[in-house]
Amino acid sequence: MTTRLAHRLYDAEGRPTRDQPWIFRTYAGHTNVKASNALYRANLARGQTGLSIAFDLPTQCGYSSDHPLALPEIGKVGVPVNSIDDFEILFQEIPIDQINTSMTINATAMWLLALYVALAEQRGVDTTALQGTTQNDVIKEYLARGTYIFPPKHSMRLIVDMYEYCLHAIPRWNASNVCSYHLQEAGATPQQELAFALANAIGLLEAIRARGTFSHQEFERCVGRVSFFCNAGIRFIEEMCKLRAFTEMWDEITRERFGVQTAKYRLFRYGVQVNSLGLTEEQPENNAWRILLEALGVTLSRRARCRALQLPTWNEALSLPRPWDQQWSLRLQQILAYETDLLEYPDLFDGSPVIASKVAELKEAAYAELRKIDEMGGTLEAIESGYMKAELVRSQAERLARLNSGETIVVGRNRWTDGLPSPLLAGEDRGVFKVDPASAAETLDLLRATRARRSQLEVEAALRRLRDDAVAGRNLMPASIAAAKARVTTGEWAQTLREVFGEYRPATGVEGQQLPLAGARVEAVRARTAAWAAVHGGRPRMVVGKPGLDGHSNGSEMIAVAAKHAGFDVVYGGIRMTPAEIVQSAVEEDAAVLGLSVLSGSHVEVARMVLDELDRHGAREAIPVVLGGIVPESDMGTLRALGIRAIFTPRDFDLMAVMDRILDVIGAPKGEVPGEVRPEPARVARA
Amino acid sequence: MPDRASSAPTPERPTLDHETLALLARATALAKYPLARLISLVEREDDDGRSRRAALFRYLRDHEAQYQPRGRVIGVTGTPGAGKSSLIGRVVLECLAADARLRVAVLAIDPTSPSSGGALLGDRLRTQFPVCEPRVFFRSQATQGDLGGMGRRTFAVTRLLRCLFDLVFVETVGIGQSEIEVTRVADLVVLVMQPLAGDHVQFLKAGIMEVPDVFVINKCDEEALARRSAHELRAALAYANIEHPGGNSLRIFQTSAVSGRGIPELAAFLRSDAVRPFGRLGRHAQELYFLRKAIAERWGRFGVEEAERALNAVPPAIRDAATYEELEDLVMTAVARRVR
Repeated sequence: MTTRLAHRLYDAEGRPTRDQPWIFRTYAGHTNVKASNALYRANLARGQTGLSIAFDLPTQCGYSSDHPLALPEIGKVGVPVNSIDDFEILFQEIPIDQINTSMTINATAMWLLALYVALAEQRGVDTTALQGTTQNDVIKEYLARGTYIFPPKHSMRLIVDMYEYCLHAIPRWNASNVCSYHLQEAGATPQQELAFALANAIGLLEAIRARGTFSHQEFERCVGRVSFFCNAGIRFIEEMCKLRAFTEMWDEITRERFGVQTAKYRLFRYGVQVNSLGLTEEQPENNAWRILLEALGVTLSRRARCRALQLPTWNEALSLPRPWDQQWSLRLQQILAYETDLLEYPDLFDGSPVIASKVAELKEAAYAELRKIDEMGGTLEAIESGYMKAELVRSQAERLARLNSGETIVVGRNRWTDGLPSPLLAGEDRGVFKVDPASAAETLDLLRATRARRSQLEVEAALRRLRDDAVAGRNLMPASIAAAKARVTTGEWAQTLREVFGEYRPATGVEGQQLPLAGARVEAVRARTAAWAAVHGGRPRMVVGKPGLDGHSNGSEMIAVAAKHAGFDVVYGGIRMTPAEIVQSAVEEDAAVLGLSVLSGSHVEVARMVLDELDRHGAREAIPVVLGGIVPESDMGTLRALGIRAIFTPRDFDLMAVMDRILDVIGAPKGEVPGEVRPEPARVARA
Repeated sequence: MPDRASSAPTPERPTLDHETLALLARATALAKYPLARLISLVEREDDDGRSRRAALFRYLRDHEAQYQPRGRVIGVTGTPGAGKSSLIGRVVLECLAADARLRVAVLAIDPTSPSSGGALLGDRLRTQFPVCEPRVFFRSQATQGDLGGMGRRTFAVTRLLRCLFDLVFVETVGIGQSEIEVTRVADLVVLVMQPLAGDHVQFLKAGIMEVPDVFVINKCDEEALARRSAHELRAALAYANIEHPGGNSLRIFQTSAVSGRGIPELAAFLRSDAVRPFGRLGRHAQELYFLRKAIAERWGRFGVEEAERALNAVPPAIRDAATYEELEDLVMTAVARRVR
């Protein structure tokens, strides 16, 4: 009889053992199904143990590739999927009965799962063998990511439908992932990340319980299937404590609010992608270190270790990663899991008074926020009233203000900014991945072929059934699976439901926001704006919007708030505008400048469309256009030649400097600063 | 113009420059960019803008047959959460669909930040008009420090839009002084409320309940809620002994911008003869209000008394034929002379 050592792990029989590593994923997919299939097979061969599928924006937003909104976006941020024929190619030679497949898909999650099930049945695979996840978290879409379609009530109904269906038909499938990841990317503090994600999960469980079709045992199993997708930032000790707090709070909430008795169903299971917001364009090689440290936050503590880890790549702030970049990030995971001794130990931090104290502090703040949301009437109310979104915009504004004032240090960005040029950027492709513009044609050909070979009668019958079931309140999975088999397209599925549920426009969170930034630089910028106003007899109007399907609105929100702070009258157009809509706004408002925000890689096409539309109105010369987003160096010349007057990338984090450049574009008089006097840095205003 | 002997100087008549005339012609044909630039011209606070604006309004008056100010201005007020913007959006689309010749403009006003001087103009996003429909035009405007939430610029733009559109919606900031000020430019005032939100209590306290001609309870997605809200509103109005100005019967509409309920009825009412241009406050009375305001801002109360004296000395025929800009010029000059 051997005594157990405190520093060893033991299995059920009492033998010393080692933990199995988490699942290694790389968020991947691009261009078209054939290229993505090749990428997945290669990654699996290189040692990846699960798939994490990135879909392009049209697929995420419910448009087929040939829809006008879709055309500039095909294959840019992920793989386009129009029908079961596309899935056939995407999963060619991939054993879907053995592979764990995570799909980052939300508004159209039900559709993609239906396609996956239809594919499995086509291949003779038993659906109960399927393992994976559909992200399916529409709440965070409303708050931070933008790929929503329907109003909150109907979106929740679709999610609960999927839980109901999966419980018996695909028991090892995670029907949704409650995401805190995107909240951090939108500026959430750790307390907000905890509170809003848990509020989201509580809202989900209440909706599942309200469906009334589950026995208590079945409900417990549903709870057990709820998993999370979190973020881990550079303050990795705090992040580790945050995840420990998540673990404790989830156990408490599921037990106390939902009466879940079985301990294993109260486990906090999460996958994670580490922070991308903090990755810099400047000295991008530093990002490799950031990613490593952030990975520690989610692996060091066994009690709060992730189930699956996705790492961004070092050049994430420049563009989509190339296969080599993904390999490099993957190697970090493999070295951590297999070369180190990390997985041999029980939890390293249990019993530490420091960690316990920090966790308690985080929990207290999070519970306070949860109470507030409860008092408001719950998560959906907090969404529809715009409360959560406004809170996130505020946190983001505060974060940016701290960055602008130098209170927060980011190496290479606002300190130690002089660096030797990076050899990593020196290659022929300049360290950046470019989607082959000709590849969209292949996707469109596939779509045409699908339309040609299917039975129109079957399609119409399937869509009729889908509509009827939607109106009657029946579970929509069976009708969706039947539609998938009939070769219905993504756009057709979504449009049918749009007609029943309507489309949703959430609060922007931008109104009433202040930028907590003050000082001589702010005053100087305001003086320039006032000088322009004096010459023109009124304040300059800036129209800011996001054309196309990209919904990552933080940047444009911050510019809107900064422009108002600088003294502009700002018309904020929000997301998902067509070029015609955004130009109409600029025209009707007689804008002094039009600002476009594009992060999906479609900036050249979008710029062209916007400028042509301005031309149609006779306003091309009169209304200058500036553009912000993820724009590689190699595209800057093209954009300038088209007529874009200023381009801003993540490098341009200094908001007053951005406003100065915009003031230059509109011809505002320069400040009266004699000689080379350096302006004093803006300081954060203490309200 | 008949030239009677009087102490009041006849206002100067600047001629309209070619560029502005061209803008006007294209704006009349509902080309959006020329119209937008014309509105900007009318909003300008500098000297060049002022003189061009004066010339423009003189031109419109001289060509009244073509530019009759027959548009009706509908002021829309209410608390921020009531859904004014989306309601206006739905109502306008309904109006356009019901009458193929109708032209509608919306002017949405948002507050300027006192610290930065800038503003977030957020109503356009919520209103969601179709693209490239020439019969509808949406424009945002910041209050720019005007205490009433509505000032000379709003007045000037509504005067222009009256000549080019059949219906002009003016959407105000929200609860407060602007609720009252909107009556100075509007022919009909609509107050939009949420069901059972207790808004009417706030409104009663602020003395605002007497102001609207029409009450709209929005977000009436649910029947029982809608009925109770209407009942509560009637009770509150009865309690406050609110008689409608002119003795018109109280009009309460229950709408839902989401379901479309009540929208056709409200739209039909707004297009009907119950709403007339200058039906609430006559043209002279409107001008007088803004003249007083402009003078008071510049010269204080003393100025206002002097301005009224100057105005009363103007013969009625000239008074009638003059544009607001000409009257403003006249009284400003008179007061300035006295102050010297």
